[in-house]
Amino acid sequence: MLRSLFYGVLLLPVTVTPALAHEGSGTGGFLGGFAHPLLGLDHIVAMVAVGLWGAFLGPPAIWILPIVFPLVMAGGGVLGILGLGLPGVEIGIAVSAIALGLMVAFAARPPILVAALLVGAFAVFHGHAHGAELPPGSDAVAYSAGFVMATGLLHLTGISFGLLARWPAGRAAVRLAGIIIALVGVVFLSRVV
Amino acid sequence: MNTLLSAFAEGLLSPILVPAHALTLCGLGLFIGQQTNRALAVSSFAAGLAGGLTAIALAVGPTPSRIVLLADAALIGGLVASAWAPPKPVGWLLAVIAGTALALDSPPQAATIAQGNATLLGTALGACALLLVVSAGATLATRRWQQLAVRIVGSWIAASAILVLAVMLAR
Repeated sequence: MLRSLFYGVLLLPVTVTPALAHEGSGTGGFLGGFAHPLLGLDHIVAMVAVGLWGAFLGPPAIWILPIVFPLVMAGGGVLGILGLGLPGVEIGIAVSAIALGLMVAFAARPPILVAALLVGAFAVFHGHAHGAELPPGSDAVAYSAGFVMATGLLHLTGISFGLLARWPAGRAAVRLAGIIIALVGVVFLSRVV
Repeated sequence: MNTLLSAFAEGLLSPILVPAHALTLCGLGLFIGQQTNRALAVSSFAAGLAGGLTAIALAVGPTPSRIVLLADAALIGGLVASAWAPPKPVGWLLAVIAGTALALDSPPQAATIAQGNATLLGTALGACALLLVVSAGATLATRRWQQLAVRIVGSWIAASAILVLAVMLAR
């Protein structure tokens, strides 16, 4: 059962185009912004990994990472909106899934500053991708609020699942999730390189 | 009478229906809820709001109120996320700026002066009501996880406001 689930999740990226979240949804408003991060598996797994890792690291990382991410992501978004190029955005997004997945898989416990810097660095790529594809003519406030909120809820999903790490079986499940996330990242990386 | 009532209702709902206004009011409400001297911060906001609405009633020209409002929201959201209590006058100043900018960003689309005044009155009441509700909610957030949730929402507000400011500058 677990093995089937593992292979199923592993094969999931093959069924979608790479970086689907970053092709532009074409719709404005809150719902358009909210749906945007949810339409790309690469973005979803990286966001969930942030939450998982935060929960794994425990306080204060459990709340610092979800606070740092949207703020730095906004910085990346500003670069994208202003049309300032950032090399290797899609590669950076795929690598973020690999790196964060591996952090969870190996239960890495770096100092909180290192964890925040790592998450912040990846947030720039995710923010840039979203900012560059903000639909023209959309209600910018509602759209931005929607996609920031969706991103935050993905973090909370990861945190909720990560809290299972309090129990031995849950800890194994969380680390397995980290492996799956890293593998999904590898698949996406192979498609964008 | 009906047109006056509908103008009033339009103003009453505008702080909720205009995303930039709702974002700023939620951020300011959370910020005030985190502070100790809440009454003065709310009064500062109300004073700024009254000043701005008076300026609108006196037919002040176009102002960069939306940019100021969002910059204020970004700053306030950042303060909420950091859970840092700045010197009290800074908090009051942010509240005054929010009130004034929100009012200046709410010019009524009314056919008569009476309808315009009804809309402005509704805007004032709606903005103060939303601010009070959010700040009361934040004040009640006494448990650790609730305070963390407030900080996370603060970071969302700051991020959204920064992105919109960038969009406005890019356009």
